[in-house]
Amino acid sequence: MITVKNLYKSFNGKEVLTDISVTFEPGKTNLIIGQSGSGKTVLLKSIVGLHEIDRGEIWFGDVPFNKLGFREKKEIRKQMGMLFQGSALFDSMTVEQNVRFPLDMFTNMTMKEKIKRVNFCLDRVNIHNANHLYPSELSGGMRKRVAIARAIALNPKYLMCDEPNSGLDPITANLIDALIKEITEEYSMTTIINTHDMNSVMEIGEKIIFISEGIKYWEGSKYEILNSTCEKLNDFVFANSLAKQLIRK
Amino acid sequence: MLIDRGLETIGRYFILLGKVFSKPEKTSVYYKQTMRELVYLGVNSIGITAIISFFMGAAITLQTAYNTENPIYPAYLIGLGCRDSIILEFSSTIVALILAGKVGSNIASEIGTMRVTEQIDALEIMGVNSASYLILPKMIATLLFNPFLTLLSIIIGIFGGWFVGTQIVGVITSEQFIYGIQYAFIPYYITYSLIKTVVFAFLITSISAYQGYFVKGGSLEVGQASTKAVVYSSVYILMFNVILTQMLLT
Repeated sequence: MITVKNLYKSFNGKEVLTDISVTFEPGKTNLIIGQSGSGKTVLLKSIVGLHEIDRGEIWFGDVPFNKLGFREKKEIRKQMGMLFQGSALFDSMTVEQNVRFPLDMFTNMTMKEKIKRVNFCLDRVNIHNANHLYPSELSGGMRKRVAIARAIALNPKYLMCDEPNSGLDPITANLIDALIKEITEEYSMTTIINTHDMNSVMEIGEKIIFISEGIKYWEGSKYEILNSTCEKLNDFVFANSLAKQLIRK
Repeated sequence: MLIDRGLETIGRYFILLGKVFSKPEKTSVYYKQTMRELVYLGVNSIGITAIISFFMGAAITLQTAYNTENPIYPAYLIGLGCRDSIILEFSSTIVALILAGKVGSNIASEIGTMRVTEQIDALEIMGVNSASYLILPKMIATLLFNPFLTLLSIIIGIFGGWFVGTQIVGVITSEQFIYGIQYAFIPYYITYSLIKTVVFAFLITSISAYQGYFVKGGSLEVGQASTKAVVYSSVYILMFNVILTQMLLT
């Protein structure tokens, strides 16, 4: 479980996150939704410690993450996997080397064991016969899946995904969503997903928080989102004409 | 304002160095990285070093010959001048300036691209000390290999001087040139040259890595960081050249 309490973050005096409090539960896909520039990525990066927060608390289980020193944070980070918006695969390494990297760094497994684990993770995300390809030789969807394979290589307790569907076609986006949900349930991970894709919200939004201009306005599930009375959320959810037409009907 | 920014830059530079020299996560991984960088930054620089050194030695020989045409100067001075110029200045400083262009821009653009494509964030999230993982192997590789490049440059530079001076243009005989390069040889000059090389290697790697590591923005900023890496490395090499010469030769 990840708990955020009264989090504030600003850049050059401009507040971008204001008093955010939320609990992300294990075994569930927790979604942070909001417009571009609403502060979703800053929130996610603050939670994982890539941004120093101004005020507030971040708890990973019963560990006060933001109070830890560099070395203690590193230990918690070994339990995290993160999928970045642009995949962030190491472009000078092959697919196999990318997925093997955390194993090389933090385990004493033999090469045979590592390759077995790499193949298992790649198989889990439906990537076959691509071990020796470089990231530049893969499609966007494949890159995301390899990044997921790398993120789960060490069996993390926490999985963070920053806009996993950005730049993908709807079918591939659905596959990525389904994959993240399956993995979350399978390993009982605490998964946080940043998205502005309403399709993802309706497919996998077990717990959703909506933020706008750095303020949390709403919290609920995909079953509650369509009946919300929050005006800002409704503006976001029903922003496209198709949604508006469906509501009118 | 300018002083504040200068102090901030110096502070960030030393904090980065602190992170670079902290204990590596896994020695075997760092060892492999260092071997890779030895090839990438060191072995791949042999060609350019050899070409520059050959022509540099040739030009120094011809210039020395042109300036010592007066018969009161013994001809072997051409060889002596060529040897001392190459050992004392050219093979360490000029080769360092060339490597600042080749290796420095390479380091800054590689690390800068990793920064803007979130690969450094990915390393941090995994619990890897990104500064140490990315910079330390490069630093070790250049500190180990650049002295070898300097020695190679000295040999090829003197050979270039001999070849062009004696075999192509004929401004001096082979015997006179060889006598000149052996005359009043002070072995400490080699030590001095190697000390400078090690300091310059550190400056090139650390300054370029700093420029790449803290880049913000996109490909345009990575290009700018790469340019800054070359410019700042070159300026600091020249500045430390004066300081080291004062410290080691006087």
